[in-house]
Amino acid sequence: MKRKMLAARLDLADKISDISSRKGTLYDYVNDILEQAIRAEEIGLSLKTVLDDRWAVKAMKDAGFILVPGKILYDLTETAYRRVGREKMRMLWYETGQWYGHYYGDLKKFEAAVKSCFWDVSEFKILEENETEILTCLSSKFSATYTELFSKFLEGALAALGFSLNQSEVSKGIINLKFVKSLDK
Amino acid sequence: MSGKGSRKQKLIRAPSDLVSKLSREAASQGKTLYSYVTEIFEQATRAYEMKRSLKEILDTFEVLDVPKEAGTVYTPRDILDYLIQKTYGENGEELQQMWYHAGKWYGIYLREKFEQPFETFLRLLQEGRWDLNEVNINKSSERIDLKCVSTFISQERALLLQNFIEGAVYSLGYKTKEKNCFKGIIRLALSKM
Repeated sequence: MKRKMLAARLDLADKISDISSRKGTLYDYVNDILEQAIRAEEIGLSLKTVLDDRWAVKAMKDAGFILVPGKILYDLTETAYRRVGREKMRMLWYETGQWYGHYYGDLKKFEAAVKSCFWDVSEFKILEENETEILTCLSSKFSATYTELFSKFLEGALAALGFSLNQSEVSKGIINLKFVKSLDK
Repeated sequence: MSGKGSRKQKLIRAPSDLVSKLSREAASQGKTLYSYVTEIFEQATRAYEMKRSLKEILDTFEVLDVPKEAGTVYTPRDILDYLIQKTYGENGEELQQMWYHAGKWYGIYLREKFEQPFETFLRLLQEGRWDLNEVNINKSSERIDLKCVSTFISQERALLLQNFIEGAVYSLGYKTKEKNCFKGIIRLALSKM
């Protein structure tokens, strides 16, 4: 097979060379990488797009999100809500939200995670207006109970990020929350 | 990446036909071959950080959207475990049935959507979003042995996931011959119907 020389950035070439030493030869490894790049282009994608999407999946997994059939999650929530009671359930969701607030540590990162993770949410945005953070979350899939609990999750996350709830409007599938900066932050 | 050092170059040998293809692709995107190769190598090192090869990542790309389209949603693990813990005691059998039926529906969806739905289902289990660390498959002419291992999963959730898998494979033309679920390890022996 004919070969050609390919110029690559030194630091990357060294990394690739280092990785290949654990897998086989540098030539075979580079061959494989280039083949996959061409394969991606042939299906109309760049490797970056493919990797970005895969990275998002890994990020969700690392953050402790797992998949569950949607209907089952909503049914389980209704059953547990009746059995355990409103306050305990609200507290569970609030505390879980707090954990995620600390985990992401930044409002924009949290917003991005909610958008990419909760695909049963049709609209999610947090806008800043006159020192108030206005959060809007819409989902046609949420029951009234689930909406209430999800709003506590969001409230918990923002509390951990230094925002206090100032105003709240929650009804089936619709969450509108307004937050102000906590004084102690 | 910036800095004087990062502009240094190194020559790497590659198959001539691939380099020609890449040159054409780079030109069509208005890039130099050098910058195009830089992008590719950056993604290859990123894949390595994810402990996957580019091939594995591309192989699973076509199934990335399946969970969204097939009616599954993400939820925090702690919440799901709490919900199961609080409902399983009284509704264990009913929950198992629910997961089995959800799995059946999932299998039907895969059957309609993919040419090799069973293989697709196994790939979906392997790609990590079901909280499984390991999915091993042994195929022989008469049976398939499936072993799923998770270090995070409770016994109740493992049983429910086992039911989901059984439901899905049933829709894909397999029946369960043997099953065992113990502390995060699900074992299923399947055979063609």
